[in-house]
Amino acid sequence: MISLSVNGKTVRVPEGTRLLDAIRGAGFDVPTLCDHPALEPWGGCRLCLVDVTRKEWDGWCKMVVSCMFPAEDGLVVLTDTERVQRTRRVVADLLLARCPDTPLVQKVAARLGVERTSYAPNPEPTDCILCALCTRVCDHIGVSAIASVNRGAGREIAPPFHDAPPDCIGCLACAEICPTSCIPYETSDGSRTIWGKTFEMLRCTRCGRAHVTKEEARHFAARTGVPESYFDLCDACKREDMARQFTRLSEGARTSP
Amino acid sequence: MRIEGKAAFEEAVRKAREEAASRRLEVLVCCGTGCLANGSQKVAEALAAEADRRGLSASVGLFTKKTGCHGFCERGPLVVIQPSGTLYTRVKPENAGEILDKAVSGDGAVTRLLYRDPATKKPVEKYDEVPFYKNQTRVAMRNIGKVDPADIRDALAHGAYRGLVRALFDLSPEEVIAEVEKAGLRGRGGAGFPTARKWKAARKAPGERKFVLCNGDEGDPGAFKDRSIMEGDPHSVLEGMVIGAYAVGAHEGYIYVRDEYPLAVVHLTLAMEQARRWGLLGKNILGSGFDFDIRISRGGGAFVCGESSALMRSIEGKTGEPRQKYVHATDKGLFDCPTVLNNVETWADVGAILDRGGEWFASMGTAKSKGTKAFSLVGKVKNTGLIELPMGTTLRHIIYDIGGGILGDRPFKAVQTGGPSGGCVPEALLDLPVDYEKLTEAGSMMGSGGMIVMDDRTCMVDVARYFLGFLIEESCGKCTPCREGLKQMKVLFDDLVAGRGRPGDIERIERLAEGMQLGSLCELGKSAPNPVLSTLRYFRHEYEAHIERKACPAGICRDLTAYEIVAEACNGCGACAKACPADAITGEKKALHVIHQGKCISCGACFTVCPSDAIRFFPKAERPEAASGGLP
Amino acid sequence: MNGASCQDTAPLEAILEKYPREEASLIQVLQDVHRAYHYLPCDVLEKVAETLDVPLAKVFSVATFYKAFSLKPQGKTIVKVCMGTACHIRGAGQLVEEIQRLLAIGPDETTPDMGFTLKTVNCVGACAMAPVLIVGETYHGNAKPAKVAKALGVEGKHHAH
Repeated sequence: MISLSVNGKTVRVPEGTRLLDAIRGAGFDVPTLCDHPALEPWGGCRLCLVDVTRKEWDGWCKMVVSCMFPAEDGLVVLTDTERVQRTRRVVADLLLARCPDTPLVQKVAARLGVERTSYAPNPEPTDCILCALCTRVCDHIGVSAIASVNRGAGREIAPPFHDAPPDCIGCLACAEICPTSCIPYETSDGSRTIWGKTFEMLRCTRCGRAHVTKEEARHFAARTGVPESYFDLCDACKREDMARQFTRLSEGARTSP
Repeated sequence: MRIEGKAAFEEAVRKAREEAASRRLEVLVCCGTGCLANGSQKVAEALAAEADRRGLSASVGLFTKKTGCHGFCERGPLVVIQPSGTLYTRVKPENAGEILDKAVSGDGAVTRLLYRDPATKKPVEKYDEVPFYKNQTRVAMRNIGKVDPADIRDALAHGAYRGLVRALFDLSPEEVIAEVEKAGLRGRGGAGFPTARKWKAARKAPGERKFVLCNGDEGDPGAFKDRSIMEGDPHSVLEGMVIGAYAVGAHEGYIYVRDEYPLAVVHLTLAMEQARRWGLLGKNILGSGFDFDIRISRGGGAFVCGESSALMRSIEGKTGEPRQKYVHATDKGLFDCPTVLNNVETWADVGAILDRGGEWFASMGTAKSKGTKAFSLVGKVKNTGLIELPMGTTLRHIIYDIGGGILGDRPFKAVQTGGPSGGCVPEALLDLPVDYEKLTEAGSMMGSGGMIVMDDRTCMVDVARYFLGFLIEESCGKCTPCREGLKQMKVLFDDLVAGRGRPGDIERIERLAEGMQLGSLCELGKSAPNPVLSTLRYFRHEYEAHIERKACPAGICRDLTAYEIVAEACNGCGACAKACPADAITGEKKALHVIHQGKCISCGACFTVCPSDAIRFFPKAERPEAASGGLP
Repeated sequence: MNGASCQDTAPLEAILEKYPREEASLIQVLQDVHRAYHYLPCDVLEKVAETLDVPLAKVFSVATFYKAFSLKPQGKTIVKVCMGTACHIRGAGQLVEEIQRLLAIGPDETTPDMGFTLKTVNCVGACAMAPVLIVGETYHGNAKPAKVAKALGVEGKHHAH
């Protein structure tokens, strides 16, 4: 266990904890946009910046992104110094200029004291804050159907050649993880369309609900080793089955001598 | 050809020297990219053909040789005759005959091709009496201009690999690091990180597989020292890397060469092939039992790939996005292995340090910045080119004594150092001794050693805007402060130069600058505000003029500047009308010429060519027509 | 010399033979492909992704990140104007303007007859000869607007004003 101080409060955490979690463990919080508990930290939005110092640094501080900085023994963390607040405000202000009509960005900015952007608003407003959660989750599940394209101000998230992505399995992980819900998709009876690609859904053999795409079933079967027949039943029906089995087992236990 | 052991190495060097000595006369033609751009390829061919035709190699032992960049690019194509040391400038292919005549006869030189000292107006015959070269101390560039980069024997004859032999056979890896530490060598790519400290960390790091890398990305526009070293003396880089690999325990290396340097890739590849054949690279180097080999990785056209973590991602075949470096590359770098990345010039210094000793290197320079540094002196200076000097040399000495002063003898305004991460140093600081600390204190930085001299016809707001324009194209786009901040900063500057500046803009710029410095993920974003902040620091009045008076004091911003011909001074020579790209000037021969404001695009070409100082510029807002609303 | 069309897979196969089949080879492969085909054809990129076992999305990401690569066919002669600092202050902008006047194309554009593509490039390291114009493989140092037409080989041809 290591011990560090956050805004004057001492907290003990296991070695290897990242600073953001240590800060939360101490009862404080910092804003984040690109962080997600299921994915490796990315350090791109810069909202979680905090000031850190050590006794032996004689007051010299450095600003680090708490989502990636490892908690260290003896670290002194200040989550809301003047310059940290100023920097967060500039970040939020810049995001608001990029995404002036996006409710989440408006909310985050307002909370940091930025009601209106002081910069030139985006002539083509977008909801995408380039947090890369979509591409990171897609990489994480081993598909990598979409990626960031171009660099600098022209950077955007897109499928290859801005066309239907051949590798996409239609799992909707990207759309669901997107904090501003800016990845559109359509579901209609038995089919699903996302990124310009249409998928045929598999129907549950018991209740008939269209629950996964063919490609999803194939991908996850290959990745986990379960047989493709695992996807014959939808999750709800599988749960019902499991519940019935447990009921039978427990009744059997009661009635046996 | 393969050398095994120290004795065999000495023998190979002896043979190489003998062979070099048998070439009693050498005609060295500079074929660095600068002289090539001026046609030196044809000069080299003409000399070789003529020497061949006259049978000079057999009769008098005269050989022509193509070398790397001599450095004095302003006066190229350059030809040097050895052993007399005669330097010829601005050589044309048709001069081949007379140059060879004089070289063979040994009696004098082709006077009109000699360098002429602008102060004394007298020709200077010898290479090392020309002020441009006399004042230099070449360590990293020790052999450039002397050796044929395509011939390893020439490199050996000039001392290549002596440092490596000492390291491999006389010193332990720890002793090698100690020698580099004694030298006080700091990274020559810009940040100036102590090299020995980096190597120690990599040596200590756990792991079997380690890498040494060479950063040949040289992205700073205006810097070309690394190109010259890679093209002109590739063995100096290879030698340094083998020494470094031995010191840290690495067996694999990469040289990352920027896409825009194809000749460097060719020369390095050839040098590596030759080094392998001679046993100086690859398995069991020189019979010492140490294995190390190098691969070349070409950049794809991205300035950000000069940043160490982005460079490594590029070698891994990925996009050049930097990563947060809370875990150092010396612990987890390329392919997550301990990695040492050093700049081309740093590697070139290493061989010399091992050969002549750390103490020798540390005897030059200042207290905290030891040794020598290569600079590319370019811009509005008379003698543009590549120079190497001890750290601590003053800017004044560099720009005036070596650079010969400002082009056209115009007033000096500033010298920009450190590329897009650096800043401008004004006249008041010309006596600044150049070293890492002093440049940083002045609001600039050493960077790659690019020194861009600017005269009074440079608008500092425009300079800052230029660098923003450059960085916008180069930002990887991963983090908000850099990607969005550069975009917004450029909008503010576009407004300033177009006369749309508002009160409070300077404060807006400063607030955004701080946000970028503190918030950005990597040094590209963090240092992007430097040119802005340094020009604000020393030239705030120019910003204020742009905002308050809609005027550009240097007369550069076209939307803010108008030109007119001063009647009393005009002699009707017509040079302005000829230079005007917009057909905006009319006038009879020997009579007063007139600029038609409605057609003038304010490019300033007329101002540059007028021999009588008869053209003046002034803020467009003060044009009388502007008040009346009409233009002729 | 126009590169092979994207139907001709021989150059691609030769290139893929040269490198280990892994992600780390991607950029070097793309550079060789670009040199052979004068741009990155999309079916070639698909083959590269498959052979190196790199997701197509990542290949496209890399192809669009690096300025060395064009996804559109380029002209026979690439005209590059260096935009380095020294070139900038010595008049690179005026060179670009002159080329625009002569060829009626801007940066990253190609003439309709596929003869020329204009690119503004980062510092080529010939700063002492600023401003630098590169036509094909030929470097022109100390370039002046008046000399551009000759360097391009379009002297005397109609100026597209």
